[in-house]
Amino acid sequence: MARTQLEIFFGLLLVSIAVLVIIYSGFNEENRMIAWNQSHQAEAVEVGAELFGNNCSGCHGAKGEGIQGLAPALNDRYFFTNRVKDVGWQGSLEDYIISTVSTGRVVSTRPEYVGGGKPAMPTWSERYGGPLRDDQIRNIAAFVLNWEATAMGQVQLAELPTATPSPEEAADPVARGKQVFMTAGCTGCHTIDGISNGVVGPNLTKIGEVAATRKDGASAEEYVRESIQNPNAQVVEGFQPNIMPQNYSQQLSNKQLDDLVAFLLAQK
Amino acid sequence: MIKNLSMQDLRNRGLALLDERVRIITAGLGLKELRAVLRGDPATEKPNPRYRVHTTSYVFHIRPRYYQKASTWFTHTFRLGYLSTLFFIIEIITGLILMVYYVPSPSEAYQSILELQNEIPFGSLLRDLHRLGAEAMVAFVALHMLRTYLTGSYKKERSFTWLTGVFLLLITLFLSFSGYLLPWDQLAYWAVTIGTSMANSAPLLGDEVNLLLRGAQDIGAGGLLRFYLLHVVLVPLLGIVVLSIHYYKVGREHSISLPARIEEGDLPDAVKKDATQRIDFIPDLLTHEIFLACLVTFALVVMCVFFYNAPLEHHADPQKTPLDTKAPWYFLWIQGLLKLGDPSLMGIIIPTLVFALLFAVPYIDRNPYRMMSKRPIAVALGLLLVVGVMVLTYMGTPQFGIETPPAVRIIQDLAPEEGVGPLRGIPFEQLEPGVYEVGTTDPTTLPPQLALVFIDFQERVTQAEEAGTLPDAQGFIVIEDWQADLKKVTPRIIWTDPESGQQRTFDKPVFIHRNRGSGGE
Repeated sequence: MARTQLEIFFGLLLVSIAVLVIIYSGFNEENRMIAWNQSHQAEAVEVGAELFGNNCSGCHGAKGEGIQGLAPALNDRYFFTNRVKDVGWQGSLEDYIISTVSTGRVVSTRPEYVGGGKPAMPTWSERYGGPLRDDQIRNIAAFVLNWEATAMGQVQLAELPTATPSPEEAADPVARGKQVFMTAGCTGCHTIDGISNGVVGPNLTKIGEVAATRKDGASAEEYVRESIQNPNAQVVEGFQPNIMPQNYSQQLSNKQLDDLVAFLLAQK
Repeated sequence: MIKNLSMQDLRNRGLALLDERVRIITAGLGLKELRAVLRGDPATEKPNPRYRVHTTSYVFHIRPRYYQKASTWFTHTFRLGYLSTLFFIIEIITGLILMVYYVPSPSEAYQSILELQNEIPFGSLLRDLHRLGAEAMVAFVALHMLRTYLTGSYKKERSFTWLTGVFLLLITLFLSFSGYLLPWDQLAYWAVTIGTSMANSAPLLGDEVNLLLRGAQDIGAGGLLRFYLLHVVLVPLLGIVVLSIHYYKVGREHSISLPARIEEGDLPDAVKKDATQRIDFIPDLLTHEIFLACLVTFALVVMCVFFYNAPLEHHADPQKTPLDTKAPWYFLWIQGLLKLGDPSLMGIIIPTLVFALLFAVPYIDRNPYRMMSKRPIAVALGLLLVVGVMVLTYMGTPQFGIETPPAVRIIQDLAPEEGVGPLRGIPFEQLEPGVYEVGTTDPTTLPPQLALVFIDFQERVTQAEEAGTLPDAQGFIVIEDWQADLKKVTPRIIWTDPESGQQRTFDKPVFIHRNRGSGGE
């Protein structure tokens, strides 16, 4: 056979095989698309989990359990069964979450949480002056929605046998206090440079320096302790009373309170 | 009348009519001639109608009537130029289809890629073909240039062809680089941020060029749209024009160079005569080219269906600089240069000089000979450049010459920001909740895959402790049940900072969902 004919023959053969390969992969396309969709939804939950940890857990709790007096739980049965109905929302729960996160909550709907009629949840979408992009907010919604299985009692999660270990924190009251600051909801409203960026309450970056000058006759420690236990005793100029939850003395143990005060006084 | 109209006549009349129509379409090849072409037979008419096609047909007018036999030897050209063109055509075809699904805006781009991959049948294949084809095109263009340089085919009357070729190399690199940004993932965003910030450090017009490319101080909506339009309109158009000139020069004017030893070597006349006999384009070279096109299609399809997945990292995030930023492989040599010194000198001036040098090669090299033995300096310099680029490429890899704090390095290697990594490689069921401490936890009690990863982590931490980089190091892997089908895994290292004597902690929570590994990248 001439080379020309050989090349024509093998050319046709190769193209036919290529077409067959494409057809063969076509049979699996449906499953591939389902699998990839699942994978990307899983990725959205993972990314959302990290974003929630960095932005939302300060007020809504590390696992969305809510913080009394500050922000509601997002992982309970009520949230998944009745919340949308109660606020009269027309769309899906996902839309409700995305909308609320994006535009914030101008007026608190539940008096027991922070705000008491004032702006409560800040705006998170960068379209309204917040820090997050739309895709990030969609990921957060995917993460929050993933609480449904546990909220409805379909799945039980294993508890860790011991607490997250960190010997550094165990030894040092300031480090322990930081842990309290991070988990008790303080970060949602107060800024400490490098730790949190809340704007609802006063900036605490230098609280260790200024605490002693705030109230006549009270030491720095007394002032800080009182401000946590009874926030309305002394309200910093430019801020409103009744915003900060007034039940921290019940919520925190004495030891936690001591640690928190030690941590705050160390902020200089 | 009826008598004369026999069946034979009718058939001949019909064939003649058909033949006439076919000749109009094929620019002169009749039915008989077409059959001969497909069979590889010699021409059936005189003068040879196959030559006329090259003046009467648009498609063939930039192709040669014939090449000399030796210039078509596989070992002379390796078909690299043709393959580059072929990949360019594949890129145009797949690119046009991709444009149907792509939205050039930062808020939509990534989502549109996800939709293409997750919801469009063959969408992922399409992207793989385009991506792999692009990488192949860069490689073949570069190799084609190297071949042309080594065989000395850029000399004398071919110097302008070389010039258009270097221009095509630049076009190829820019096409590939501008396409890199479009998926708007972390990989794209940071590679292009590095690339354009190099432009920023250019002397004189750096700021202006940067602003022109990015459309703002940082890459955003403006920059993405600009890169998109460059990628799909301006640069491909330029490419088509310059490629046509390049082809015309080779096909119609100077032909492919003969191997130097045939042209200059001291060979018997019979050998030279045999090597320079004509090989007609139609049918021999044409069928060969079509065969190569089939071969490439086949190889590319098989690669993409069975072995290759175009990478897609997380959504671009200007707030989050990846630890190991990486330029595309064909620009790693510039990243390597950047590690050597001043960005404006290393990132702009030296690469510009390199390309200027490439442009000027035929004008600097006045040596008339083409055989390697008669131009040792040119060959040595060329190889030196190749070795230099390879060394710089190695230096450009993220692992080279960049000190990451040891604790960060260990945890990054365990759970890289993108891709799988050892930690994500563990099957979901084996991520048993618990606190696992280096030195305390007995790995044999762990599920097998988790145990392997833990032992590895343990070794890294212990080694760093012994080497003194992490004094008193304690290592933990904490696995928590976080949500249904979601686990939080926190690798944590605690050590004593040798300078301040204080305890330091580094940890990085990693969230792992059960379905993450079920598809995709």
